[in-house]
Amino acid sequence: MNPPNQDMNRFDELLKTVLRRAEPPSGFAERVLARVEQRPTAIPREERVPWFHIFTVPFIRWAAFATVSASLIVGTVHYRNVRRERAEGEAAKKQLMLALHIAGSKLQLAKSKVVEIQVSRPNGEAEKNRSRSKS
Amino acid sequence: MRNIKRKLLSLVFLMLVSPLLRAQDFKLPVDVEKLSSTAKETVEVNMDGPMLRWASKFLSAEDADEQKAAKLVANLKSIYVRSFEFDKEDSYSSADVEALRSQFHTPVWSRVVGVRSERDGENVDVYFKLENEKMAGIVIIAAERKELTFVNIVGPIEVDQLADLGGEFGIPRLKTKPSSSNPVAKVEKGDHK
Amino acid sequence: MAERRSGTEQRKSTGIGFADIVREHQSMVFSIAQHFLADRPAAEELAQDVFLQLHENLPTLKSAEHVKFWLRKVTAHRCIDYQRRRRVPQISLEDAPEPAMPTHSGDPFLEKRVRRFVATLPEKPRMVMVLRYQEDMSPEEIAEALTMPLATVKSHLQRSLAMLREKMTRTIGEVVI
Repeated sequence: MNPPNQDMNRFDELLKTVLRRAEPPSGFAERVLARVEQRPTAIPREERVPWFHIFTVPFIRWAAFATVSASLIVGTVHYRNVRRERAEGEAAKKQLMLALHIAGSKLQLAKSKVVEIQVSRPNGEAEKNRSRSKS
Repeated sequence: MRNIKRKLLSLVFLMLVSPLLRAQDFKLPVDVEKLSSTAKETVEVNMDGPMLRWASKFLSAEDADEQKAAKLVANLKSIYVRSFEFDKEDSYSSADVEALRSQFHTPVWSRVVGVRSERDGENVDVYFKLENEKMAGIVIIAAERKELTFVNIVGPIEVDQLADLGGEFGIPRLKTKPSSSNPVAKVEKGDHK
Repeated sequence: MAERRSGTEQRKSTGIGFADIVREHQSMVFSIAQHFLADRPAAEELAQDVFLQLHENLPTLKSAEHVKFWLRKVTAHRCIDYQRRRRVPQISLEDAPEPAMPTHSGDPFLEKRVRRFVATLPEKPRMVMVLRYQEDMSPEEIAEALTMPLATVKSHLQRSLAMLREKMTRTIGEVVI
């Protein structure tokens, strides 16, 4: 019996012989090239330029940056203006409502006083009092 | 030197305030303006036509009170309010009130209400201004124990709008009959606050 | 959006170099597929697909060595995927039928039997054996190509060899080469 190492080496050699490269069928390369020719003219993957690669152009990149920055600034300023105007408008509205409320309440006070007087007095005296109050 | 300074300051103040005052039908006495320094709470509202129009843009169409306010304000020229609330009674003098009232004792203004109440110290005067038989303005002077209020609204207020003004803004409408049979107020001759 | 060029421009840029690559490596690619699948027509079709895929990815490959490595890797993976899709029942080596006629000397029939035993190996150990003995790749290179741990590659090699040797020894007695 052969030594194990020797056996293994020979087995390796056997495998190498068995699994040696074999030539493909005749015309294999031509058939491959023919299939390549027949395929749609697609650009090899790495040659395709994704749309966003335009931003690798320095001028475009800076222009895009400037545009975005300007838009952000304008948008922020506009938003702040709108917000400020809104706040000022709400404050003015509150003032208006307060003024009308005060005016209404005092007018109501006056009306209540007049009614109280009218009700508490006989008709004749109420008429006199009304004419006095108008003077 | 101090007097000159004071006069100059007063002049500057008047120059600044006068445009607004010209839009009003009155001049608020200086002493009344000074009441803000002693009042616990002061309300000042000065809104001319453009300001009223702008503020009314923010009135909500979904709020009933604000809707009514929008209608009321639509044709007004100005709203002027001064209201002083004090901690204690007798914080202002009758002379101050009379100085206000006297400005409306003119043919242009008609006093439609003048109520003096000794019991609760609430005195209210209401003046209407008529132009071509149409309402052109209203003044309300309410002198209460701890509160003095002056309101001037300039503009063509319709009587029904005035009625809405009285019954809205959270103030309950008037009862037609008093709760008590006792007399609660009387009209007094002479000056009261 | 990908830009598209005319077929003429494409041929000008890659046609000549690609054909050379095909001719240089067709044997390697076809043999890997053939030894793994033990099916000549399937091996040719798979090999063609590999080169078509190479054509698409050629610009990404930086050197001749890179091309060679890429071809080995893609062929190996395509073979394994193809085998799995075919769902051919896997016969374990232990269950593989014994050759009908034992022989004591090395000859083409022996080679055929060895080839047959390789075909009975599970997919990954089989591909490890093919790459090791056909391409003379080191265990490290095989690990990289098959995206497999080095220890796993070595384990596959050792076990497969042991099983094959045992099988061969039982079948034909002592292997005399």
